[in-house]
Amino acid sequence: MTLLVQTVILGLLVGGVYALMSSGFSLVFGVMRIINLAHGAMIVLAAFLTWWVWDRTGLDPLLIGVLVTPVMYGVGWLLYKTVVARVHKADHELAMVATFGVAIAAGGVMSLIWGTEVRSATPGYFNTSIELGSLVIPRAQLYAFVGALAILGALYALLRGTFLGRAIRASSTNRDSAALVGVDVERTMAQMFAIGAATTGFGGAALSVIYQFVPDSHYVWIGRILCVVILGGLGSLLGAALGAAILGLGEALTASYIDTRWATAVPYVLIIAILLIRPQGILGGRLRTDGVHP
Amino acid sequence: MSTDAATRRRVSKRLIIALGILFVAAIPFLTPSSYIHNVLILTFLLAVLGSGWNVISGLTGYVSLGHSAFIGVGAYTAGILAERWDISPFIVAPLGGVAAALIALLLSLTTRRTRGVAFVIVSYAMLELLGLITRNWSSLTGGSQGLLMPLPDWDVRFHNWPFYYALLALLLLSLAMTAAIRRSKFGLGLVAIRDDEDKAAGIGVVTPVYKGLAFMASAVLVGVAGAIYGYYVSFLTVSTMFDIVLSMQVVLAVLLGGRATVWGPVLGAFIVVPLAEVTNTSIGGVDAGAWRLIMFGGLLLLVTLALPKGIIPSVGQLLEKRRRGEASSLTGARLADTTLPPAPASERAAAGQGRSTDVLRVEDVTVQFGGVKALDEASLVVPAGSITALIGPNGSGKTTLFNVIDGTYPPAQGDVVLAGQSLAKLDRTGRAFAGIGRTYQLPRLFNSLTVVENVAAVNSRPHNRIGSLRRLAHSSVSGAEAARATELLEFVGLGEYVDAKATDLSYGQRKLVELAQMLMLDPEVILLDEPAAGINPTLLQRLSELVRALNATGRTFVIVEHDMHFVLSLADRATVLARGKVIAAGDPNEVSTDPAVLEAYLGDDFVLETAVITDEDATIGPRS
Repeated sequence: MTLLVQTVILGLLVGGVYALMSSGFSLVFGVMRIINLAHGAMIVLAAFLTWWVWDRTGLDPLLIGVLVTPVMYGVGWLLYKTVVARVHKADHELAMVATFGVAIAAGGVMSLIWGTEVRSATPGYFNTSIELGSLVIPRAQLYAFVGALAILGALYALLRGTFLGRAIRASSTNRDSAALVGVDVERTMAQMFAIGAATTGFGGAALSVIYQFVPDSHYVWIGRILCVVILGGLGSLLGAALGAAILGLGEALTASYIDTRWATAVPYVLIIAILLIRPQGILGGRLRTDGVHP
Repeated sequence: MSTDAATRRRVSKRLIIALGILFVAAIPFLTPSSYIHNVLILTFLLAVLGSGWNVISGLTGYVSLGHSAFIGVGAYTAGILAERWDISPFIVAPLGGVAAALIALLLSLTTRRTRGVAFVIVSYAMLELLGLITRNWSSLTGGSQGLLMPLPDWDVRFHNWPFYYALLALLLLSLAMTAAIRRSKFGLGLVAIRDDEDKAAGIGVVTPVYKGLAFMASAVLVGVAGAIYGYYVSFLTVSTMFDIVLSMQVVLAVLLGGRATVWGPVLGAFIVVPLAEVTNTSIGGVDAGAWRLIMFGGLLLLVTLALPKGIIPSVGQLLEKRRRGEASSLTGARLADTTLPPAPASERAAAGQGRSTDVLRVEDVTVQFGGVKALDEASLVVPAGSITALIGPNGSGKTTLFNVIDGTYPPAQGDVVLAGQSLAKLDRTGRAFAGIGRTYQLPRLFNSLTVVENVAAVNSRPHNRIGSLRRLAHSSVSGAEAARATELLEFVGLGEYVDAKATDLSYGQRKLVELAQMLMLDPEVILLDEPAAGINPTLLQRLSELVRALNATGRTFVIVEHDMHFVLSLADRATVLARGKVIAAGDPNEVSTDPAVLEAYLGDDFVLETAVITDEDATIGPRS
């Protein structure tokens, strides 16, 4: 019983971090209908930046994550202007292939800069935990979880409460109508994409503390993110949070009760299963598509 | 363009291909350099992989990011069996192909409900999952230790020649297969699925069968090639056999060469592999791998941005433009003002002759979208051999009713009965075979096919037995199917356009092609969704004549239309929908003067006014 509760706690803590990592991806898909396969590479890039600064300065990695956030905003802006704004016009599969090209090239760049050794940031609280009776709550996971929730909350408030948020939602519902009522759609898209990228700042920092990583880790991370958003229903932020919790739990339970070696297979199995059984995800609704076809 | 010149071009093309093959086959004798042999072996491998990828991703439109998984499946199958049975991997290589084809068949099952970007994700997940299984199932595969293949058992004088010729033979086989698929009715169906899968299902393309076959075709030779490649590298590891970078290279190679072309994958492979080898030797060291990733990732991005069509189609377009010169296209030419040719006979109508019952009955169908009842216990009766009009204001549920009849939407309640049989359990293709054919308000044609191919892609009979699958091998551009398609196109007045691209047609002409597709399908009931919308009066006149002539041969029509003059002059029955409910049904003239109908169309105010105008004026005229 204790093992089960312990596993659930660990799974949910990690799920919170997954939710943050997937939020930017889901935002971009919801608004632009682009599957950004470079999102995993952005997370690993943020992890490397965090690790690198931590290695030099010894500052708290999660705090560094806050500093990395504006850097990732800039990276996102650049990626949008150079690539995404162009591929947007190609068909969706090709656009996806283009972002995959970016991911692969980014993996190469990271290997050149930081090498291929296994990295991980290990602050003072690394490997220490809070004990509640027989339950153990690792501090790193807990802090990462709390930080992720705070940033998710800020993102939600931004989308709901500001003009930019309304412009993003308007553009996502109908580009042309948004332009008609005075929204600068192109600018809004760029800001939205950059915000999506900025969420990887803290996400990458959390990664660098909780996990070990190499440049090639981006393949694994994009797998996890795809799993989360497919579980939740593509484009749904709330769904992504739910999907993240399910994936975190699934991995933790598999590691505890089956074998840690199979935990890495969980995202892929879930992806295939959910697309076979309920392709619209858990919360994704089915849009009405008429006989009228554009 | 004279046929003479075309024949000459074809002959010279074949000659060039034959010489090219001879040259490549002679290379081992021309140069002893094992470096060159190695580069060519890897090139053949990528070209085989590319040809396979091209079948599902180029022709069928399911873009795969995990195609190298079939290399791994083939290599590990052959490696494990060769070890167990202690025989040469060459002998068990075909079993590697079989294993790959079986996995591909499983993958095709996921496409029943996923397409577009979701499939790209599935293909990636498949590659990673198969790699993980191979790594974790170490008792069978050697896991992270790897699997050692037996040493080649032939005389050292033959070098790597067996690998070289085996992969070359596989490449030629792959090319022959792609060419054959492209020329067949099967290939037409695949392109139809790529362009518009729902529409394809509605004209009798049995999409699960087509996709299953296409996926197996795309994997089988890749699996064999994987087995040979594994033997060649002599040591199998998960990271080299289930390599995501190889998957990416194959996408790059085919996009670069030209998707859906026979030679695109070969051209692409001959660019990508030598490029990789050159960078490998010129950079070297630990950074070589990183630079290769940067180069290929960047190239992939560049190709999708700057050359999405690929080299072969782009060059082909240029040449075609130059050859055609200023020759005027047929598009926009006036409809030939000729009398209508005799209407083609309908096998179905002939078989059902003398049946006086209602051929189609929609019984109390309800469809709900969230809180909106798009259809509220709507019923429709269509007598055999009739022209039934289905009218109603915008948003009244007419097209939704069509979507229920053809199986696009499952109704929350109610049933659709065709010739006494409920259609509830049938999917779209099943309904097409049972006898439901429909056109769309905005015509949906397969844009990468020619006009005659659009019609020839139609399947009027199901593949009940395995033997009937042979029909898929029929040629798409000659033979009985194409002849029938041409005849039907001549009937609807598009005889001059048979070889035109579907995209080159005007809006009205596209509607006529859809009508020809319906004649090819030869269903019990033809549903026409707003055939008159947006077409000119001459064409409208022609359309009336066509429908009348076809109706005279015993064909049954249901027409959704806003042009009241057009539809009521044709129809011998009318059903009126408003807000999802049937508010009137019966004789067209009576229905058009029914006060409830007038109210639905024009609102309460008009009903008050009708009280003071004569009955004759109160009929609904054509809306301008």
